[in-house]
Amino acid sequence: MYLPKFMLERPESPEEAATLLKVREKSHLVAGGTELFPRMKYGLLSPEIIVSLKGSKISTPEITPEGMLILDAKMSLTAVNTASEIQEKAPLLAMAAGRVATREIRNMGTLGGNLCQETRCLYFNQKHTFQFREPCFKRGGEACYFIPKGNKCWAVFMSDLAPALFCLDASVSIVGSGGVRQIEIDELYTHEPLRPISLKPDEIITKILIPKHEGPSGNGFAKLTMRGGIEFAGVNVAVFLAAEHDLATCKRARITVGAVSGGPQRAPAVEAFLTGKGLTEDVIKAASRKIADGLKIVPHHGYSKGYLAECLKSQAKAALTDATNAIIGAT
Amino acid sequence: MSTNQKQLLELSINGEVYELAVARQETLLEVLRNRLGLTGTKEGCGTGECGSCTVLLEGEPVLACLLLAVDCENKKIDTIEGQSLEGLMTPVQQAFLEKGAVQCGFCTPGMVMAATALLKRNPDPSKEDVMESLEGHLCRCTGYNKIMESVQEAAKSYPEKG
Repeated sequence: MYLPKFMLERPESPEEAATLLKVREKSHLVAGGTELFPRMKYGLLSPEIIVSLKGSKISTPEITPEGMLILDAKMSLTAVNTASEIQEKAPLLAMAAGRVATREIRNMGTLGGNLCQETRCLYFNQKHTFQFREPCFKRGGEACYFIPKGNKCWAVFMSDLAPALFCLDASVSIVGSGGVRQIEIDELYTHEPLRPISLKPDEIITKILIPKHEGPSGNGFAKLTMRGGIEFAGVNVAVFLAAEHDLATCKRARITVGAVSGGPQRAPAVEAFLTGKGLTEDVIKAASRKIADGLKIVPHHGYSKGYLAECLKSQAKAALTDATNAIIGAT
Repeated sequence: MSTNQKQLLELSINGEVYELAVARQETLLEVLRNRLGLTGTKEGCGTGECGSCTVLLEGEPVLACLLLAVDCENKKIDTIEGQSLEGLMTPVQQAFLEKGAVQCGFCTPGMVMAATALLKRNPDPSKEDVMESLEGHLCRCTGYNKIMESVQEAAKSYPEKG
């Protein structure tokens, strides 16, 4: 399969890239290319100009005197998985990065790219050369072949890193032609499958900022895939638990579920349920039974809604158990 | 600037330097196979799902089908053709041969490259490490067990071990 023709710009700084995206119409940003290039090969989009970030330097993780971890959005997923600063200060993010796709894709794909990926669906993500049906919403039409009689687009946002960053209360620094701004990670997502990322066309994520967490804590990340590797998630659950100094009581819980709707969703009911409770096996079991309460679950990629809701419980239990064990192991 | 404009670039592949004029949208895989005749690197899916186009970029496995050739300038590229120099096979290739890990052979170059990178990184891999490094490689003949065994076998005789 071949890529369509395009012009290539390789600016040296994000500011320059933002200006290029602003002044050139029909331009598209690329970092690793592992998500954009397959879509271009399928003929789902053909930008005239590709603004590549490969020309700019990648800075190493930085820890401010206040303990905030600052990451370059252009870091490869392998680097996110293996950097000692991230393993120490934000192990949940390192854990999630290690579960993305395959070693080859992790070597190419970037942190920012994973956060800004397009929503996916079984119908949309393929070549449409021999499709003679009316195009779907994502292709500019007015039909959904994903959900029967769907009256809107139901594609699913499948990032593994976004749920982890939700749990870590991260924020992102954005450079645009209008200047620099900083937003909380949850403001980045619109939960709208047709336009899942709230960035303007000329805006680029440059940095990911993760605040310091005091006291004992544990992390867990679970991901359901049909095969072991090389898969987008059927559902993923990221868990961050902060414990009291007795290492048995939950002080604060952050639980985020991804890959079941148009954006990552926090599970506030379970978070509230866990806060102040002892982290026993029974409590974890009861909490994971509640996980699907109030969440929007879209059946996708062959998984039914009921199956996903059930799997969500077992994945949540696994992630909560890992997080609890990590707290105890931290003594 | 037109979309047909080509860029002159130098690619360092298997220790040799090639100078070519390449279009912006050409992937490393197209350059290797169509321009340089290095057809050992295979195109399976072309969209990053099968791993048969795996080459090493600066020693790390990457997918040549999703990598623009112009982004590979001044970087060390290794393909399957550079593995057996002077007719001598590498431990990984030898183990693949001896264990019968090759059936139709289409996935083999990618598997060998990924296994070679793994053994450079970790000369004593566990079964899980081998699985992790090969998880991005599909074998339609489903000969995975033999492939796993050969990588572990190759680790025993890996020259950089110890």
